[in-house]
Amino acid sequence: MTTPTGDDRAHLDRLLDAMTAAGVDALLLGHEDGIRWVTGADRLRLTGTRPFAPACVVVRATRTAHLLATSDAGLPAFLDVDHVYGPSWDLVTLATRVAAVPGLARARTVGTDGTDPTVEDILAAFLPVATFVDAGPLLRGVRRRTSPADRAGIAAAIDVAQRGLATVVGTVAPGVTERRLSGAFAGRIGRLGATMPAFATATCVAGTAPRSFPGERTLAAGDLVTLRGGVVLDGWLGLVARTRAVGGATAGQVSAAEAALETLRLVTTACRPGRPVGSLRARPDVRAVDGLGTDLAPIGADDPLAVDDVCWIEVAVDGVLLGDVVHVGTDATVPLTGVPYGLG
Amino acid sequence: MAATADAPIDLDRLRRDRRERLVTEARAAGLDAVLLIGSAGVTYATGADTPTADVGVARPRRTVALVPTDGSLPHLWTWWPDGAPPDLPVDHVLPGLHLDDDHDAAALGTAVAERTGTGAVIGVDDRTWSLRRALVDLTTVDARPALGRARLVKTPDEIACIRRAQHLNERAIAEIGPLVAPGTTPAELTGAFLECCAGLGATGTVLDPVWQVVAPAVGAGPRSVTGDVAFPVAGGTDPFADGDLVWVDTGVEVHGYGSDYGTTWDVGAAHPRRAEQWSRLRAVLDAVTAAVRPGATGADLTRAARETEAGRRTPWLRHLYLAHGIGTAPAEAPLIGTDLGDEVDAATVLGPGTVLVLEPVIWDDGDGGVRCEEILLVTAGGCERLSAPGTPEAR
Repeated sequence: MTTPTGDDRAHLDRLLDAMTAAGVDALLLGHEDGIRWVTGADRLRLTGTRPFAPACVVVRATRTAHLLATSDAGLPAFLDVDHVYGPSWDLVTLATRVAAVPGLARARTVGTDGTDPTVEDILAAFLPVATFVDAGPLLRGVRRRTSPADRAGIAAAIDVAQRGLATVVGTVAPGVTERRLSGAFAGRIGRLGATMPAFATATCVAGTAPRSFPGERTLAAGDLVTLRGGVVLDGWLGLVARTRAVGGATAGQVSAAEAALETLRLVTTACRPGRPVGSLRARPDVRAVDGLGTDLAPIGADDPLAVDDVCWIEVAVDGVLLGDVVHVGTDATVPLTGVPYGLG
Repeated sequence: MAATADAPIDLDRLRRDRRERLVTEARAAGLDAVLLIGSAGVTYATGADTPTADVGVARPRRTVALVPTDGSLPHLWTWWPDGAPPDLPVDHVLPGLHLDDDHDAAALGTAVAERTGTGAVIGVDDRTWSLRRALVDLTTVDARPALGRARLVKTPDEIACIRRAQHLNERAIAEIGPLVAPGTTPAELTGAFLECCAGLGATGTVLDPVWQVVAPAVGAGPRSVTGDVAFPVAGGTDPFADGDLVWVDTGVEVHGYGSDYGTTWDVGAAHPRRAEQWSRLRAVLDAVTAAVRPGATGADLTRAARETEAGRRTPWLRHLYLAHGIGTAPAEAPLIGTDLGDEVDAATVLGPGTVLVLEPVIWDDGDGGVRCEEILLVTAGGCERLSAPGTPEAR
């Protein structure tokens, strides 16, 4: 089994160093994408959002992490079953188990990644010396900067997404339904070892704005079809978006594709260290400039980019949707995606 | 079964009935408005479509609903305007917000204050830190008790959605089941399953489908902290082998409603004890089903299950439950047989319109065991099964 960090505790150590710098004694994490970044735990993936619950505890004094789980399944080698606390439907029982994590009871500044109103009150009662603070900026800061190993993980996920997209492109033909295209993506990525699409694959006949929900609509000659697919592989996200013409592109479609590619290249080139993304994102044809790793994280409008940021850029011009993952390198910003941009 | 599963679903009525239930419960709880940021609650309150996504994608781009309790229409903030329900006027559908961004959260806080007035009591289902700061001048309370009471009783259209999702899931399993053989990987099975579901009309998946190879003894690992079988755990790419015991748990969505399909497979020849275990599982299901009627309590159900397996292991996983509700969340109230204990179960009274997923487990340590799931609707006179029978000889 492979995980975002394998059996390497590099991410946990980076986080602990950042906690030291920020004066944070412990973290209570609830969001699974952050937990898999920190610990490498490979646990069952559920879709949608869930309210905050203390599913992972990181303690600076002991330099280790503890996880809410029923067993050591999917845990990296440096976290054995002694680092697992069992679940409970009773918040008081759960808070008792959390408070018993070695070192946590003495932690004064405790960062969390959410503030569920009921859970917060109960945790406060069980951790009386703790002051709870927003761990968001600390986590974002430490997660954003990718290492070569991180980028290798992202590249592997992108590779699966691209091969899934290639299968979808091979299925595009008049008479095929949008839903069959999204199914073709799921089938291919499964054969490649990725178990769940990162999001419901959007394979839709283009409208005035890109559509997100494939349905029973059939492709017809002359349609543009937007194809956006993503996977989670070993915890990392891999995404790609392209557009294809059904049965040959018209001159108008070709010029829209050229304009979309020009915008994508312009934004890619502009994603340089020191540059805030707000002005890029404000362009009407730019749909996203987000951070990408084990999540798709918004970057603040005034937050400058830095070397080794990895970003997801998505643009749309007249029904042509294009999306690339790019790496902000020291010398240049380069796409990690490698699928042809043309409509053919 | 097929004819019922294809029964038409009136989406306008579905949204109207649900909103009415939510507003009634929220008003009874003294709330002036409900602000929802969790996917299950937003779907319930508005019917807005959101692409089903891994949490790493879903969390940063949440759909947000503000539902006033004065009967006026909700406001929706969404990244997917083509998923907005048709009954919302265009000025009630607003651009998506990043709720971990103070600027966006403050804009939402201002909008909430403008629409509800100062002094209003706002129910919330979850908060980001930015949202907590943005709402600091408003009175916020936990909306989930009211939301839970609303969701406890399903409307006819909700029941039709669950029935359809389950039927679709069952058809997909029937199609891909024959692929389960030595050499096939769980990931391949997932791909084939999701491809099949998309073709049948599912709009998403509730969880990464589980095809878990379970060791015949708990002590063989993974190391459990509950003393029970560690289930469900993430699947992988190790191929199935002859003699593997596979526990299956899948859920797909139709109009935001999940199915919940569970079964057990032996790869190759079945273990000699399997037939006996299946018949014991059938007996537990039959006993619990016979106890399900309006006025029955959760404790009546757990007693029926325990008495059927008297002298043996509790016939469900102790970190989970004997039964759970299902709707726009894969496991919602009522939860029966949890570690909250017998008193809580005894206080859980069933009423017509509640949908229960039974998921008993028969386990003989060393020989493995079987699990499956059956979905029941509590009716005026007892209950009706919405799923196919979960045990092989009953199918």
